[in-house]
Amino acid sequence: MPLTGKRKRNSEAVALAAEPKTAGVVSGLSRTWHLARKYLPVGSGMTIVALLMLAAIAAPWISPYSPSAQYTDAVLRGPSQRYLLGTDMYGRDLLSRLIWGTRISLEVGVSAVILGFLIGVPLGVIAGYLGGTIEAAIMRLTGLWLAFHLLLLALIIVTALGGTLMNEIIAIGIGLIPNFIRLARGLALSLKASEYVIAGRAAGGGNLYIMFRHLFPNMISTLVVVASLDVASAIRTEAGLSFLGLGVPPPTASWGNILSEGREYIQCCPWLTAFSGLAIMVAVLAFNVIGDALRDLLDPRLRGEGAPGP
Amino acid sequence: MTQYIVRRLLVAIPMLVGAMSIVFLAMRVLPGDPCIAMLGEEATREALRDCVRQLGLDRPLYLQYAEYIYRSLQFDFGRSLHFQYTVGSYLWRMLPHTLLLVTASTLIAVLLGIPAGVASALNRRNPSIDYSLRVVSLLGLSIPVFYFGILLLIVFSLRLDLFPLIGGGDLDTVLDLLKSGEVFAYPLDFLNALRDVLWHLALPAFALGFTLAGTVTRLSRSAMLEVINQDYIRTARSKGLHERTVVYKHALRNMLIPLLTIIGLFVGLTLAGAVLTETVFARPGLGKMLVDGIGARDYPLVQGAVTVFTMTIILVNLLVDVLYAVIDPRISYR
Repeated sequence: MPLTGKRKRNSEAVALAAEPKTAGVVSGLSRTWHLARKYLPVGSGMTIVALLMLAAIAAPWISPYSPSAQYTDAVLRGPSQRYLLGTDMYGRDLLSRLIWGTRISLEVGVSAVILGFLIGVPLGVIAGYLGGTIEAAIMRLTGLWLAFHLLLLALIIVTALGGTLMNEIIAIGIGLIPNFIRLARGLALSLKASEYVIAGRAAGGGNLYIMFRHLFPNMISTLVVVASLDVASAIRTEAGLSFLGLGVPPPTASWGNILSEGREYIQCCPWLTAFSGLAIMVAVLAFNVIGDALRDLLDPRLRGEGAPGP
Repeated sequence: MTQYIVRRLLVAIPMLVGAMSIVFLAMRVLPGDPCIAMLGEEATREALRDCVRQLGLDRPLYLQYAEYIYRSLQFDFGRSLHFQYTVGSYLWRMLPHTLLLVTASTLIAVLLGIPAGVASALNRRNPSIDYSLRVVSLLGLSIPVFYFGILLLIVFSLRLDLFPLIGGGDLDTVLDLLKSGEVFAYPLDFLNALRDVLWHLALPAFALGFTLAGTVTRLSRSAMLEVINQDYIRTARSKGLHERTVVYKHALRNMLIPLLTIIGLFVGLTLAGAVLTETVFARPGLGKMLVDGIGARDYPLVQGAVTVFTMTIILVNLLVDVLYAVIDPRISYR
């Protein structure tokens, strides 16, 4: 409902003026609610990521069955006490396969982002700091890169190289490089004019010294935000590739190929697709939430704008 | 202005050629031999040699490359290895399906996303509105379109039996009637075919549209936040303008400019989403064609589909650059 400008401004002014006073007198309940709203999203995001990492590392010990063991007496069974999330068409335990699939998703998600980061950030810093022909060349290449969407580029590369874990990492990592180049270049451009960089140069620091000692440490926090959002899109892209049958080939379990295999059985056994897709979604959501929370924390422009998160 | 547009055009051409070169390179280093893929492992040596010659794979690479670029620019991608038709004709048949899906889902994304983003930004001090809108947009952003699509299929097609499970509907009839101008001669046929198309379109378009709406919501929220704190908004308010006028006349228009810049990115997102959506819903289209082509190692088919995808992205970006300059007079035509 549109308020008049005056009333709106008044209500904002009241809210601003009242803030410090009310902070002291709010009841314990609303204080708890306020804190929960502030930290619940980050907290749950971090908890989920920690649990996923734990599942990936401890897969051999915590999964109830082997991911490849076929129980022929229990083909396509629904969730039960014996098989918590049911079984697939070969009588394999879905929960165990999902736990093992966590490894693929996290390995690809995190490694691809590290690859993109390690190649993209130096290129971006060089482009932004040195400028000139080098910058023009790097940015032209980046523009070309961006003409392919992450999934399309990964699709072409994986098709060319074959679907293995390593190739998926390379394909998605290469696709993420331009994100980091553009970001690091923008940050380097704005930091280049700062006084400590000028001082560093006046003190006789060389280009490499300035880039490593002054530029990079000052952009790392922003880069980390984007990196965690990129992990989310890397996981989603991996799942997409596996879904299209271009990821890690079966019988190795990955969330995407479980979902893809389950598609043929959605009529009778929807739990196969439902649970594997849920796993993908929860993981993507968790990394997105963490990235968002970090951005709210680090981006001064958005600071104080409503509730942080979700 | 004209000079600016010409310059953008001149930049787009090498980009197009560069992107096509990447496609060509990727296709040529493919480990699988197309002839073996086509004829099977037991094919005789003579048959294989005939096949290689027929496809022109025995000629020098630079000749193949030059021919590929030259022909691609005329939409001639050769003949499919598995089916008896040219890739060009197949592309033209599939293109309307993908265009329809992309347009419909973009429309849904914009109609859901921009109002949600604006409402979220304007109500940023009202957590119940801002917070819930942000949660929904985050869900849209995080749910993979192929998962959301399957969930929709399970509920609305399998359980409730409201929508068809596969296919793209009778789009050919609609287009034929439109093209031949016989729409008015057979209005009932036309309406039936149209209804069939829309019926098949509903779920895929909603699946893709909803996931895209998450992105649109966030972008328009931050664009609105940026604009609403500007001096000219304060000026407009202090002139005593109605808040509605401030939002609709001053804020909304200026907010659309930063949104325009991400259209290029958005097109890539939508096309990639279309690849997945078409696969989930078994809808005919460029994406399905690409995936089928990869599965069958049908090189010309893959090359054609990827080239068209890339061309689209580059051309849309070019269009946005030009549009941007037309809309925002502050842009200098470097």
